[in-house]
Order: sequence, then structure tokens, then C-alpha cells
Amino acid sequence: MSNKKQFLDQFDHLAATLPLQGAARAAIHTGLDFPTTRDEYWKYTRVNGILNATYAINDAKLGDVSQHQLNGLDAYYAVFVNGVFAPEHSSQQLPEGLEITSIAAAQGARRELLLEHLGQHTDVKKHAFNALNTSYFKDGVFITVDKDRVVEKPVVMLHVSTGEGSASNVRNLIHIGSYAQAEFLMQYEGEANNQSFTNALTEIIAEEGAKGMCYLLQNEGDGSKQVNTTQVVQKRNSTFSVVTLTKSGELVRNNLNFSITEEGCESNMYGIYFTSGKQHVDNHTYADHLKPHCNSNELYKGVMTGRSTGVFNGKIMVHKDAQQTNAFQSNQNILLTDTASVNTKPELEIYADDVKCSHGCTIGQLDEEAMFYLQSRGLGKEAATKLLIQAFAGDVLEFIACDALRDDMEDFIQQKFKELDA
Amino acid sequence: MSDFLKIRNLRASIEGNQILKGIDLDINPGEVHAIMGPNGSGKSTLSAVLAGRDDYEVEADEVSFLGKDLLELEPEERSREGLFLAFQYPVEIPGVSNINFLKAAINAKRQHQGLDEISAKDFMALVKEKQALVELKQSLANRSVNEGFSGGEKKRNEIFQMAMLEPRLGILDETDSGLDIDALKIVANGMNKLKNKDNAFVVITHYQRLLNYIVPDFVHVLYNGRIVKSGDKTLALELEEKGYDWITKEVESV
Repeated sequence: MSNKKQFLDQFDHLAATLPLQGAARAAIHTGLDFPTTRDEYWKYTRVNGILNATYAINDAKLGDVSQHQLNGLDAYYAVFVNGVFAPEHSSQQLPEGLEITSIAAAQGARRELLLEHLGQHTDVKKHAFNALNTSYFKDGVFITVDKDRVVEKPVVMLHVSTGEGSASNVRNLIHIGSYAQAEFLMQYEGEANNQSFTNALTEIIAEEGAKGMCYLLQNEGDGSKQVNTTQVVQKRNSTFSVVTLTKSGELVRNNLNFSITEEGCESNMYGIYFTSGKQHVDNHTYADHLKPHCNSNELYKGVMTGRSTGVFNGKIMVHKDAQQTNAFQSNQNILLTDTASVNTKPELEIYADDVKCSHGCTIGQLDEEAMFYLQSRGLGKEAATKLLIQAFAGDVLEFIACDALRDDMEDFIQQKFKELDA
Repeated sequence: MSDFLKIRNLRASIEGNQILKGIDLDINPGEVHAIMGPNGSGKSTLSAVLAGRDDYEVEADEVSFLGKDLLELEPEERSREGLFLAFQYPVEIPGVSNINFLKAAINAKRQHQGLDEISAKDFMALVKEKQALVELKQSLANRSVNEGFSGGEKKRNEIFQMAMLEPRLGILDETDSGLDIDALKIVANGMNKLKNKDNAFVVITHYQRLLNYIVPDFVHVLYNGRIVKSGDKTLALELEEKGYDWITKEVESV
């Protein structure tokens, strides 16, 4: 396909410094194609808009990043501009046991750890966007939390896309040592109406007994497109949660994969999308239960207005060995207009015989009985709608332990209502 | 005669079935009216239509409340004008706190009256006072609206909300159903304390039992979509003794 070649040509001047980059580049230039709607997992999401665009792949500097930071958040920051580490905006003082460096700068034992994990938990030769990322990421961030360390403040990876037509392959690798504990925010920001494309790939390894939380906040602006793949690998007795919060973007496709490789793990996936206009937000999740005695919980909620479209596909795989698995999944959607739509699908494959799995998805309008009840107490339609949507989203927001982020999401929901009223 | 609530030839149908077939009713401030009747006579439809539920096709020669055409008003406008319906089956609304919701309701009404928002201090004092009235536990007021409440707690919460909103006209739709005698007394007692010369209540019930505690000035029997008999409180006692058959036979023989 010629648009694939034209698309790749725009990136080909970037250097491949690691062997794995060369291998990925070979794969993508030969047999591996970008997905089309004929591929089952891309049935509702067209990527032509990404492949046909022209990009300006430039290093850029930002004078000030504070406008992109969450109000009142006390955190350690690693800031990236168009996918390139910006040390001048990043925290210089880090607590003992937490290290944040670029991938290129990892030395000694950290370099060994990096090579042990980078690209080892995702099949870069199978998924075109993963291959694209691996081929062309300029640099990435490598975060390590040493064993037994508890990081008190959130660690924020703030990625800013700047300039019209920017394209970034963002690469993150996070390693949480045994019995360590940390909270991460992966924040993607952009400039108002820029057409941009971000292809992010994050690998997270939670070692034995580690406990972690990762918030994914997507807010690159109305003209942005983002493909975001997160691969979590969990070892024995670890707990990891990912909360995906999609605030803006013309096209957002998230692939969230949990590989639950040892016993006693807990995995949580939560998400909120509140879409309007012609936005398209697609969440594909995968809980891969390989070993017994693990729990996974999943709750995604969507509110859709305008002509926006949503996709949810939640796959749960319980392998033969994974007895005593508890896996729960729910996707609930409220459509506020007749022209909004959502395609939602649970996908369960269970090969063990002693498990508890459940799934459910709902698509509906606001509960009319509840609306009437609130109205009969004097609340206008708008106020009643707002209250019910806040309550609907509240079930997911309550999993956000970070106050500044929860406040930001509550403000976002208020703001969204103001836009709807206008 | 009355400019409080005046209903003339009120008819309502749902999916082509006519439920109310011409209701006439006048209510004045300071009065308590009981509306009784067998199941399916249209009692709950009457309350729903007055509160503004839009499932029905409604026609009338006149339905005026405090000088306004009630049928022209949205449910929330009816509420702000001082109408309150205590639901037979209050809905559970997970995630919406009882207290925040009530505060929003009170402020919606105050805004309608041209008043400032209630202060946090005044609001909490009001909550405390009105909770005591219906012996509602504080923990319930802080929970999500009706979520996980027992049947009796839900009904008490309705009366609590009514107390908070201080309506001019309170309509209690089978508030007694499903209540044990203690809860019934609490609910009745709460309503009696709210009663004054400026407000009025319509108590819709199937049984006379509630009327031992809330003494009505008028009793109306609703049957087959019409008020077929009106009287004072002795009518309720007569119904209790003779059953509804007595009335229905009388109506059908005419």
C-alpha cells in the first residue's frame, strides 16, 4: 500500500540505535500492515486518517509547561516535548530509590534491567503500531522504583505535543521492584486545535508484591489522534491498577493489556470517556490470566453526545492453569443524543473449570424515573442531568486516589456540560 | 371558589386507556383530603398527573394551583410553586447524595422565589430539625438517595424531603403501604406537625388505617376514574366496615 510507504518515509530519517529498533523497522517495512476495519480488533476504528496525514517531525522546545500541569499536584515530573525528554522542565531532586532517566542514559545494572524488559513483553512484530513505535521512538523514559521503596508523591510523565502536524512515538518503561509502591500519571497534553498524532507504548513490570497505580490522562486537543498501548506484566502477589481518563482527541485508541503471569495478583482497569462532536474513543482491554488465585476487575463508563462514537472491547482469557480466578468486567454507556453511538463487546475465553467470571455492558439513556424524581423536587432538567451524570461517573472517579486529578476530572465534567448548554 | 387547587373535568389516559374520566375537586388551605378507592381506580394516576409525569395524555377544563394553570408547568416548576408528591415507590439513585440533592432542590426553589442560596449553616440546622421530625437516622440523610433504604426508611425519607421543602400542597401517594404500625405513626405524626392553616394535604390510601392518625377533613372515593362519593371522616370508617363493594354496587346500580 502506497500510503504506508509515504507514511513511513516521514519517519525513516530517525536513527535506530538499539538492535530491537532495527528488527522492528525491518518488520514494518516488509509484511506487517496497519490494521483495517477487516481486522476483528479494529472493526470500528479506521486509521486511514492517521496514515494519510503529513507530519512535521521536529524537535521542539517549550518555554513553559505549567499550563499543562494539574492544579495543586505535588509530584515528581518527567516532561517530554514531542516525545523527547526535556530535562529543563523535569524534577531534578528525586527521592532515593526512584530513578527517572531517558532510555539512552540508562547505565550499568539499570541498562541490563532495561534490556531485559524493553520490548520483551509486547510482540512488536505482530502489531503495526507497536512496531512503528519501536522502530522510531527517539528516546523514551525509563523509570525504576527499587525494591521495598514507597514513593510518596505521584510520578508524572507529562507528554506535550506542540506544533501543527507533530507526530511522536512515545516510549515508556516502568519497573517497580519487589514490594515497592508507587503511583504514576501518564499525562498527554497538546495545543488547542493542532492536528497531531501520538503513538505511545508503555511497558510496566510489577515485581513480586509490588503495588502500583497508573493514571492515563488523555488531553491532546480536539484535532489530535492517539494510539496508546499499555502492557502491564504482573509477578506474584502484585497489585496494579490503570485508570484511563479520556478528555479530548478526535481519535483515541487504547490497548490496555494485563499479563498476569504469577499467582495472587490483583489487576484493576477503570476508565471514563465523555465524548462530544465527532470524537471517536476506542478502548480495547485484555486481562490474560495465566496462573491461579488472581482477581481482575474492570469498570469503564462512557457518556456520549453529539455524533461521537465509542468502542469497548474487553477480553478476558483464563488459561487452563488459572483456577480460582475471579474476573469481573462491566462497561456502561449513556448516550445523550440520538446521533451518538457505541459498540461494546465482552469477550471471555475460559479454559479453567473453577473460576468466577462475569461481564456486563449497558447502553442507555438517563433513568427516566430518576429524572422525574429529581424534577419533582424542583431540579430543572439540566441540573438533574448533571447530577445523574456526576453520579454515573462517580463510580469510576472514586478509584482516583490523587485529589488533584479527581478535581481535574470533576472540573472537566462540569466544563463538558457548559459546552453542551452553549 | 378556591384559588388554591381547583380541578375540573380532569381526564387522563395512557396508551389509549382512559384512567381518569372526569375528576372535579376543590382544595383549600388548611384542609386534609383523603382519596380512597379500590386498586385500579386511578388514585396513583391522579397523583402522577398532578405532579407532572409525562406518561399520560391529559385533558381538563381546568386545573389551577395558586392561580396558575398547573398542566402548563414542568414538574420542577410545579415543585417550585409549592407542590410536593411523596412517591409510592421512591426511586433509588446511586451516587447522588440525599443531602446534596436536597440542597440543590431547596436552592432551586429559593432562586424561583428570588431568594439567595441557603447558607451551609442554615441548611444543616434545617436538616437536623426535620430529620428529628420523622426520626430519620443521620446516616441515611448522608447516603445516596434511597439507596439500600428499607421500605419504611424510604417513606420516612419522602416525608423528610417534604418537611425540608415545605410545600403548600403535599400529595401522599399510598405512603402507608408497606409500613408497620410504628413507622406509620412516625410518618403520620411528621405530617401532622407540618400541617398549618396555609398548606393542604391530599392523602391517597387504600386503607382507613392511616386515617386513624391523620384525620381528614374530607374523604373522597375514587372509583373507575371518577370521584363517586365524598364525605367527612366517617365515610372512611364506613368503607372500612362495609368494604369497597358497597360503593361499587351503589355506583353500578345508578
